[in-house]
Amino acid sequence: MTDLVGCIAPEKLEEYRNVFVYLENRNGKISRGALEMLGKGKEISVKLNEKVVGIAIGQDLKAVADEAASFGCDLILGAELSDFNGFSSVAYTNIISDFIFEQKPNIFLISGSREGRDLVSRIAVKCKTGVAADCIELDGDPTNRLLIAWRPSFGDKTIDQILCRKHRPQMITSRPGSYKLPEKVEKPDCETRIKKVKVGKLVAKHKILEFKPKTRLDLTSSKIIVSGGLGIGGPKGFEPIRKLAKELEGEVGASRPVVDLGWIPYEHQVGQTGQTVRPKLYIAAGISGKIQHIVGMKASETIIAINTDPDAPIVKYSDYFINADAGKAVAKLADEIRKYKKAHLVEADSEQTA
Amino acid sequence: MAIKIIVMMKQVPDAEEIFIDPVKFTLNRAQARGIINPSDENALECALKIKDQTGAEITVLSMGPPAAESAIIECMGRGADRGVLVTDRVFAAADTYATSLTLAASVKNLGEFDLIIAGESTTDSGTGHVGPGVAEFLGIDQATYCTSLHIENDALVAERDLEDGTEVVSIGLPALATVLISSNIPRRAKLRLKIDALRKGIEKWDHDTLKLPPEWVGIKGSPTVVGALKIPEERKRAAKRITVDQLGELVKELGGMGLIKTEEEEA
Ligand SMILES: Cc1cc2nc3c(=O)[nH]c(=O)nc-3n(C[C@H](O)[C@H](O)[C@H](O)COP(=O)(O)OP(=O)(O)OC[C@H]3O[C@@H](n4cnc5c(N)ncnc54)[C@H](O)[C@@H]3O)c2cc1C
Ligand SMILES: Nc1ncnc2c1ncn2[C@@H]1O[C@H](COP(=O)(O)O)[C@@H](O)[C@H]1O
Repeated sequence: MTDLVGCIAPEKLEEYRNVFVYLENRNGKISRGALEMLGKGKEISVKLNEKVVGIAIGQDLKAVADEAASFGCDLILGAELSDFNGFSSVAYTNIISDFIFEQKPNIFLISGSREGRDLVSRIAVKCKTGVAADCIELDGDPTNRLLIAWRPSFGDKTIDQILCRKHRPQMITSRPGSYKLPEKVEKPDCETRIKKVKVGKLVAKHKILEFKPKTRLDLTSSKIIVSGGLGIGGPKGFEPIRKLAKELEGEVGASRPVVDLGWIPYEHQVGQTGQTVRPKLYIAAGISGKIQHIVGMKASETIIAINTDPDAPIVKYSDYFINADAGKAVAKLADEIRKYKKAHLVEADSEQTA
Repeated sequence: MAIKIIVMMKQVPDAEEIFIDPVKFTLNRAQARGIINPSDENALECALKIKDQTGAEITVLSMGPPAAESAIIECMGRGADRGVLVTDRVFAAADTYATSLTLAASVKNLGEFDLIIAGESTTDSGTGHVGPGVAEFLGIDQATYCTSLHIENDALVAERDLEDGTEVVSIGLPALATVLISSNIPRRAKLRLKIDALRKGIEKWDHDTLKLPPEWVGIKGSPTVVGALKIPEERKRAAKRITVDQLGELVKELGGMGLIKTEEEEA
C-alpha cells in the first residue's frame, strides 16, 4: 500500500516548464479529444514561450508520433509496451508519472474521455497536484506561467476560474468536442523519443478478457440535432422528436435529467457532462437552458428553442423562440417540413417540364 | 468467509435548489433536500447483488455534513450492514485530492477489504475523480465505467462501457470499481431493515479518529482554488418570437438556409 501523503507543493516552481498533452490513441490514431488538447496545448505553449510535448503509450507509436508532429508537437515522448496490449490504469499512471517526475512539466492537458478521466486523478494523486475537470475555456498567463482554466459552476449561470497556483503540473481535462480541431502546421519540426517499457509486474492480475467493439452515437460532428428535455413530459415525448430529426436528417439529443431518468440513453446527452456539439441547427424542445446544457450547444450556428415558459433562460440563447407546448410545436414543425419538401419537389418538377 | 465490500456514497442536493454565494464562492446547500447521489445507488445495488449471491459484508462510507446520516440509514435499509460517516468541519470544502485522501484514510481505518464500489460521478460536482483517486492512494487496481460486477475466485470480473465498445476485464482483489447509472435498478429500502438500522445507528468519525494533519485535509489540503467567477459572454441572438401558426414561415427560412434537404438536391 502507498502511504497517504497530503498535497505538498514543490519548492521551486520555476523548474517546471512546458505543456504536456496526453496523446490517447487507438490503432495508431490519436483520439479527437486528444487532438483538441494538442491544439490548445500548442496555443498555450506559444503564449508562455514553452514547448508542447506529447506523451504517448501503446504498441506501435510511429503513426501516432507522425500525426502529433503534423499538429505542431515539439517533442514526443513515447512508451512502447513490449509485454502488454491494452489499457491499464495502474500501468499507464506509472508510466505517465515517471515522465512527469523526470521532465517536470508546468501544465498537463488530458482529454476528458473515459480513458482520460480514468487516469487523470490517479496521476494527480501520484504527482501530488490538482486537476480541474471538464473545463470549457483555457488560457495561459505568461507573467505567472499559470494555466487559467474555466468550468461551469456547480450551481448555475456562472463560470468558475480554477487555478492550481502552488502545485505542478497544472492539470485539466476538457470533454471531447469542447474545442475546434487544430489546423495542421506547414513544416512539422518535432523530435521523437520512444522507449520500450515492460509493465508485466504491474498488470500481472489485470487481464482483458474480451473487447466487443460497438459504434456509439457521435453528436460532435452532427449537422442537425433535435434535443428533448424534461418539458417533453416523458419517454413518449421523444416520438415526435425522433420524427422531426428524421425529417431533417439529423440526430436526437437530450438534456441530462431525461438521461438520468432513463427516457433515452446517455449517448444522446448534450452538455458539460455529455457531448459538446456545434451543429448548423440545434432545436431545444422543453429544455430550460441551464448553464451545464448551454455550454454543450451554444456554439451551434442556429438555435431554435421551444418552451412553454416565455421567460426560460434558453430564450436568450435562441435565434428563434417558439412559446408553445413542445410536443405540438415539434409535430407541427415536422408537418411543415414535409409540406415544404413536397412544394419544393413540385416546383422542381415544374421547372423541369417547363 | 464473506467478502468485505465498501460502498462509497455521497449525499447530494436534490435538483437545482442550490445557489452560490458570490462573495465567498461557496455553495449554499442548506435549503436543498439531500438524496443519495444517483450512481452511488447503483454502486450499492451492485454490492447488494453480490451479497445476495455469495454473501458479503457491506459497509457504506460517506464523507459529509451530519445530515448525511439519513442517506446512510437509507442504504442500510436496503441491505448494507454498517454505516460510517466521516464528518468534521476541517474536512469541508475539499477538492478531489483532499476528498480522496480523507476517504482513503477512512478505508485504511476500516481495516481489511476486498472491493470498494463507487459511483461514476456525483451530480453536484460531477468530476468522477474521487473513485480513481482513492484507488491510487490505496495502491490498488480499478475498473471504471462498469455496467456489471462479478466476483470470481480472487478476482473482480467487470464489464466496462467505453466510447468504442465494451471491455470485459478481470482484476485482482482488492480493487475499486466505479459503476454507471445504467448498470441496474436500485432496490427500495425495507421498513424492517430501516428500523434495524435506526436502532443500530451509524458510526461518526472525525479528525481525531483519522489523525490526518490538518494541512492535508479540507480546503487547506486542496491544490485547486476558485480564482474568480464570470457570467458567460454570449453571442447575442435575436430570440425572434414565432407562434405555432408561423411555423410554415420558419420552415421556409430554414429551407433558405439550406437546412432542409429535398430529394431534388440529393439526386
Ligand atoms: C456537474 C453538473 C453537470 C451537469 N451536466 C449536464 C449536462 O451535461 N447536460 C445537461 O443537459 N444538464 C447537465 N446538468 C444539469 C443542469 O444543471 C440542468 O439540471 C438540466 O440541464 C436541466 O434539464 P432540462 O432543461 O431538461 O430540465 P428543466 O430545467 O426542468 O427544464 C424543463 C423545461 O421545460 C419547460 N416545459 C415544461 N413543460 C413544457 C411543455 N409542455 N412544452 C415545452 N416546454 C415545457 C419548462 O418551462 C422548463 O424550462 C449538470 C448539472 C451539474 C451540477
Ligand atoms: N464525500 C464523499 N463521500 C463518499 N463517497 C464519495 C464522496 N465524494 C465522492 N464519493 C464517491 O466517488 C464517486 C465519484 O465522485 P466525484 O468524483 O465527486 O464525481 C461518487 O459517486 C462516490 O461514490
